[in-house]
Amino acid sequence: MINENDLIQHDKMGFIYGLRQSLTIVIGYAPVAITFGILATQFGLTFWEAGLMSFFVYAGASQFIGIEMIHQGATPLMIGLTTLIINIRHLLMSLSIVPFFPERTLPWSLGLAQGLTDETFVLNTKVLKEVVGEENRQRVMLGINLGAFSSWVTFTILGGLIGNWLPVEFSGFQFALLALFIILTTSSLSKKNYGTYLMAAIFSVVLKLLIPGKLYLILSVALAAGIGAWWRRRRLPI
Amino acid sequence: MSTEYLSTIVLMTLVTYGSRVLPFLLFKGKNVQGFARDFIELVPIALLAALVIPELVTPGGTIILIHNPFLWTGALMFVFSRFVPNLFLGIVFGMAVFWGLDKLLI
Repeated sequence: MINENDLIQHDKMGFIYGLRQSLTIVIGYAPVAITFGILATQFGLTFWEAGLMSFFVYAGASQFIGIEMIHQGATPLMIGLTTLIINIRHLLMSLSIVPFFPERTLPWSLGLAQGLTDETFVLNTKVLKEVVGEENRQRVMLGINLGAFSSWVTFTILGGLIGNWLPVEFSGFQFALLALFIILTTSSLSKKNYGTYLMAAIFSVVLKLLIPGKLYLILSVALAAGIGAWWRRRRLPI
Repeated sequence: MSTEYLSTIVLMTLVTYGSRVLPFLLFKGKNVQGFARDFIELVPIALLAALVIPELVTPGGTIILIHNPFLWTGALMFVFSRFVPNLFLGIVFGMAVFWGLDKLLI
């Protein structure tokens, strides 16, 4: 039986509730976005160009790679293709979120999809399970997404301003992105995927030595994920 | 702002937003199954390996082991983040260790 207090509690779960939930993401985003802003200005972009990328692209890892590739002189097409490879995972996350909103309208679809990142996906999946009613779920997700998004853009601009006004000579910045990736690796590695990780590591080193440019990224990822997926299917009992 | 930078942002936005919004527009609650699902699931971890390992092992285009601050910072970083799973502390640790080793190993 549904308790009256529970119903009142559920009524309160709206935009503001989502915004409050997003605070955990904001704390994680702030240092990364500031680092991105500083790096972007060190690579020759202005603070507002960095902010513009955070506003439109809004995808951490690919933004770091994007500015690195711009710095190395890669073409927009090559950067676009690499971004696609990196962000294709959003398809899967989006597919898992969609069942929360069976009656969604077009504006809600366009709006909620914009804020889907690794972090908001994890938080939304956890929080939305507890929220009753599709309208409430939409508002909660909007709150979570907007909180995370606005902090990413704001802290990028802040980092850009720091990088612009205080020319920081610190070689440690070269490792910021790698550090972020290694942290993500240790939190994502499991018995189910370490074989793919090892394959991708070997393929990428070998292909980087053999092929000029950044093509090794796409090739090694496609090869390792392809073999990994094939291997999983193969071991399943028929 | 150059046209080149603008077209980079437009392309990056198109592919990123595209992969976020397509399921919202096309699906009513179905999930991808089979090989495609496993493949998409394994892409992020494969990508992390491809982004990190070559940068650690071959920072200048050839394999360097001893005088390579990237490799040693990377190894320490793996150990640190295994025991301290905190984004902020991890990044600060990585940058500080790299800065120190960069000075030491040259």
